Amino acid sequence: MTETAGSPDQALLSVRDLRTWFPIRRGLLRRVVGQVRAVDGVDLDIYPGRTLSLVGESGCGKTTVGRSILRLAEPTAGQVLYRGQDLLALPQPELRQRRRKLQMVFQDPMTSLNPRMRVRSILEEGLLAFGIGETASERHERAAEALRRVQLHPDHLKRFPHEFSGGQRQRIGIARALIVEPELLICDEAVSALDVSIQAQVLNLLAELQAELGVAYLFITHDLSVVRHLGGDVAVMYLGRIVETGPTEDVFSAPLHPYTRGLLGSILSADPSAARTKAQVLGDVPSPADPPPGCHFHTRCEKAWAPCQASSPAARQKGRLTVRCHLYDPSIPQSRSCD
Amino acid sequence: MSAVLDVSKLMTSFPAGKKRVPVLADVTFSLAAGRCLALVGESGSGKSMTALSILRLVPRPGQIDAGSVTLSGRDLLTLPVPEMRSVRGREIAMIFQEPMTSLNPVVSVGEQVVEAIVLHEKVSKQAARERSVELFRRVGIPDPGARVHSFPHQLSGGLKQRVMIAMALALRPRVLLADEPTTALDVTVQAQILELLRELQAESETAILLITHDFGVVNQLADDIAVMYAGRIVESGSRTAILESPSHPYTRGLLAALPGRARAGERLQEIPGRMPAPADVPVGCPFAPRCPEAIADCGAWTARLTKLDKREVACLRREEAGGAS
Repeated sequence: MTETAGSPDQALLSVRDLRTWFPIRRGLLRRVVGQVRAVDGVDLDIYPGRTLSLVGESGCGKTTVGRSILRLAEPTAGQVLYRGQDLLALPQPELRQRRRKLQMVFQDPMTSLNPRMRVRSILEEGLLAFGIGETASERHERAAEALRRVQLHPDHLKRFPHEFSGGQRQRIGIARALIVEPELLICDEAVSALDVSIQAQVLNLLAELQAELGVAYLFITHDLSVVRHLGGDVAVMYLGRIVETGPTEDVFSAPLHPYTRGLLGSILSADPSAARTKAQVLGDVPSPADPPPGCHFHTRCEKAWAPCQASSPAARQKGRLTVRCHLYDPSIPQSRSCD
Repeated sequence: MSAVLDVSKLMTSFPAGKKRVPVLADVTFSLAAGRCLALVGESGSGKSMTALSILRLVPRPGQIDAGSVTLSGRDLLTLPVPEMRSVRGREIAMIFQEPMTSLNPVVSVGEQVVEAIVLHEKVSKQAARERSVELFRRVGIPDPGARVHSFPHQLSGGLKQRVMIAMALALRPRVLLADEPTTALDVTVQAQILELLRELQAESETAILLITHDFGVVNQLADDIAVMYAGRIVESGSRTAILESPSHPYTRGLLAALPGRARAGERLQEIPGRMPAPADVPVGCPFAPRCPEAIADCGAWTARLTKLDKREVACLRREEAGGAS
């Protein structure tokens, strides 16, 4: 496979039928007695300089998707195509070089920054790993520049992570990821632990960096208000599968999948004139170790009927959205009307 | 309406070297039967410390220095320890953010509710068991007769929080302290739990003191709102007054920073800087260093709440603008 420069309408990263299963082991011999299908056939496309939000509730597998792309969790099957090249087929040394272009920002910067390293070493580690910067002074200059970019002071290079607030540590996490000039930043709940006023600062910073550097974001989050704010595209995940995907604006204004509708209906507005939210989706998310047959959502879906238990719906294009729901399958006789 | 819970000029501090650093300063509010007051603020604002102070559970070496907490006419701060112990759980019940850490993992959830009932009330175990099944039904736990035998790890997060609510309501408390009751839950489950709390409140006289950082949750449940910053209440009033026309620059900033309010892709309004640690709270108005409206006088002004149409606000600029009364 050859590398292409890539045009804006060509995906930077394409995930095809990704499956990441974790074995459940029991007993003295640790025999495999089952599989947790954390990710079970996921397709995604991320375009250069754009944002794709991956949204879902806890246990839906969204974090495992992010980790599988970087092979921090080893996928069971599928393809992760970065500019046409399958990362899952790469031998480790080459994969390590590729990771320069795909960086990650984690939820809790306190546990993802080494407490014994000064900020300077944290930032320069990436430069050394990828052989960026000829001399020590050049690396130092790049580290200072990276801090300036996330609106911290170069003096902070001498400090340790514990000397910073949560918002500042998240900025350091972002600087560490950006210093090696990635094309894709995977942000896993990157603003979820932050207070509202600090969250606004970090979200604005991420928007500025994208405009300035043209970096693409895979934004993994459970926070629907953040997704709406980010714009771009969104993929809604439920129990290991993507149930609906498309431009965020379209999904939020006219969602098709009953789960997406329920999820969006559960957003709590701070507008006092808005009606108080009624619970839209009843019950809890089933265990991914023992998902329901057919469409995973049918146990909580008010529109579910016989075909939903029988088979998993295929992805179907409806306008600018792609949805996996039998309601939109013309080959299935619709005993009930939709829309 | 008479207040069930009256908190007046509450001061709590922690030692730092030879000095004592206040973490709560002059916290004053009252809560009427059947109402819900939300204490809103970011981390470090003092909202959870207020709850701990009301319960006299401030972790050592912290201590309550002054003020009063009056529950139906009795000052809790001067109550003997054994009596205070019976107030907790019986008259003031609590639900916390993490149902997993608040439940005993080796006792069935039904038995934990039974324990709470027989500890505070003279009833037989059998009667308490029947009541716990009834409570489980009331908080919407499916198949309550079987669920009472479950252990915490066998229940989902939403069900565990329902168990916590059942336990809290078992003794028909006057006040329910709900500290971030839905923060650890998924959005679809959060909507269910908030609906449950609303129903339960409508059918009982229990007053709720809701502690949260989430204005969406506040809007679902609260009748009144008190916004806290650096250990002080900076603005309080009815839910609609605060959310529709916030007056204090901090409240305004917080609401404007919510990602749900701006249009997609629009720049969010930021509040520069961050909440000061208790030892670093500046003299004068504590918000002045981050405030877009601050003037030189704010740094020397002793923050106090003043009545200003339908609300109280602690801001020199508002006081000057003619709010003083």
